[in-house]
Amino acid sequence: MRLSKLRADVLALLFLLPFLIVYVLYTIWPMIKGVEMTFYKWTLIRKMSYIGLDNYKRLLQDSEVWAAIWHSTIFVILTTPTMVVLAIVLALIANRKSRLQKLYRSVFFIPSVLSVAVASFLGLFIFQPYMGFVNTFLHLLNLLPQDSEIFWLSETWLSWIAVSVITLWWTVGFNFILYLSAMQEIPDEIYEAARLDGANDWQVFWRITLPHLSPITKTITMLQIISSFKVFLQIYIITGGGPLDKTRPIIQLIYQTGFRKNDLGYAATMSYVVFIILLVLSAIQYWVNNRKGEHA
Amino acid sequence: MKWIYRLLSLIAALFFLAPIVWMLVVSIKKEGMKIVTLVDWFTPPYSFAVYEEVLSTTKLSNWTLNSFMVAVCVTILTVAVAALASFALSKIPFRYRSFIFFFVLAGLLIPGEATIIPLYQVAKDMDILNSYQGLILPALASPVAVIVLKSFFDGIPNELIESVQIDGGGTWRIFTSIMLPLTRPALASMAILTFIGSWNNFLWPFLSVTDDNLFTLPMGIPTLMNQYSEDYVKPMVINTIASIPIILLFLVFERQIVKGISLSGIKG
Repeated sequence: MRLSKLRADVLALLFLLPFLIVYVLYTIWPMIKGVEMTFYKWTLIRKMSYIGLDNYKRLLQDSEVWAAIWHSTIFVILTTPTMVVLAIVLALIANRKSRLQKLYRSVFFIPSVLSVAVASFLGLFIFQPYMGFVNTFLHLLNLLPQDSEIFWLSETWLSWIAVSVITLWWTVGFNFILYLSAMQEIPDEIYEAARLDGANDWQVFWRITLPHLSPITKTITMLQIISSFKVFLQIYIITGGGPLDKTRPIIQLIYQTGFRKNDLGYAATMSYVVFIILLVLSAIQYWVNNRKGEHA
Repeated sequence: MKWIYRLLSLIAALFFLAPIVWMLVVSIKKEGMKIVTLVDWFTPPYSFAVYEEVLSTTKLSNWTLNSFMVAVCVTILTVAVAALASFALSKIPFRYRSFIFFFVLAGLLIPGEATIIPLYQVAKDMDILNSYQGLILPALASPVAVIVLKSFFDGIPNELIESVQIDGGGTWRIFTSIMLPLTRPALASMAILTFIGSWNNFLWPFLSVTDDNLFTLPMGIPTLMNQYSEDYVKPMVINTIASIPIILLFLVFERQIVKGISLSGIKG
């Protein structure tokens, strides 16, 4: 666009101003303010006293914090591979020509539009003993003896499974759509050539489809790791972080420390640990994406 | 072989539909019935009495309205603010352009969850806790939207812009009569994704609002659930009422939603 220098600067500023105002006020400024908070005893009511590095020292020795980070990590480990594999399987189903093709696409994605609170409470009731959907369904198929019940939310590992299954059900739709559109971009000629050479479905999938999906798989995997690490509400509602805080993720601990224990300074300090972890993950993601760009 | 694919596909579809169907069926079940098997849920007597009760005795319909109002405001303002900024970054040759672009790009690395505690303090200092402004304003700065929209503006040829300038059109006219109309699909996709994001946003409203007249659905629902832990019908009625608007919206805008997700994935 041809503009005089001064005019360009003034116009650009006007166009950028609304964004810059909200961006600086609600993203950049809190980032900076947060650093200050970590050096103080800081409650919900007011700034109390300067305590230097005490919050940091406390953090390093706080086993609750590291346990919570570990729980978030467990959730990442449980959900990332399953999310990726299930999304590929669903995309394969919805990519096959059939009368139900459109229906499959809608059905696999519908849970993703539900509110996190709805998905979580649905999950909570689905996994209840006696009347919940899963146990009554297992009884119906005789997979579970009629007189026994599985208490999904009273044991740590069963709780992890329940929370992971619900999350999978609720959010796999996003990855599914990404895979589906990636699959539709693979040129038909490649498939036809493979068929002419006598390749079967299995070979076509491993030799053609999957290699073509590898760039998007890298992106999806990294995005999934980042979003799984930020898990909070599903676990908070379904297990409450229990049994015995054994499934409590780090974001829940930050919330409880800040708002239940009235210690915003320490909660802010924990936030920076999360920030550093996510920053490293994002940096890896950026690097992976850019490498993809070079090859493409 | 064919029938194995079909069977697997149907099982997958059932896995995704069953919880929603169960939610709907339980929600119209008569309260207080003895439930022993799955079949009991799916057989009469049915009743809509609980719907009336929930709608008349709780603030659920207010909260649905709040969720809509907040989501609509956030969507319109986010897209407007991002479109203005990305137009400047894409087409106006100003000083420090690459610096500003980098400054916005850096925002992609800052997760909202990590700044939520100081954001609470900042919002408190500004006195916008417990207000619609407090729910809306912090959600407006979306670096992702700026970067995605910029890449679409970049694709519009400069000759087109210069031809408008020759005809005497100003910058604002270029923006409104060329840039916006030509990127309408991208704007629509961005709007829909922002809407869904806002509709489902939980953490910030949960921390910043305590007045239950200002609740959005995700924060209101948990406050109702605690009261009915033994009973399944009311919770499912609440879930259903909260879900119907967004499911309808999805069915209407499915194509744009799918497109929007594909775009955001490509841009990472």
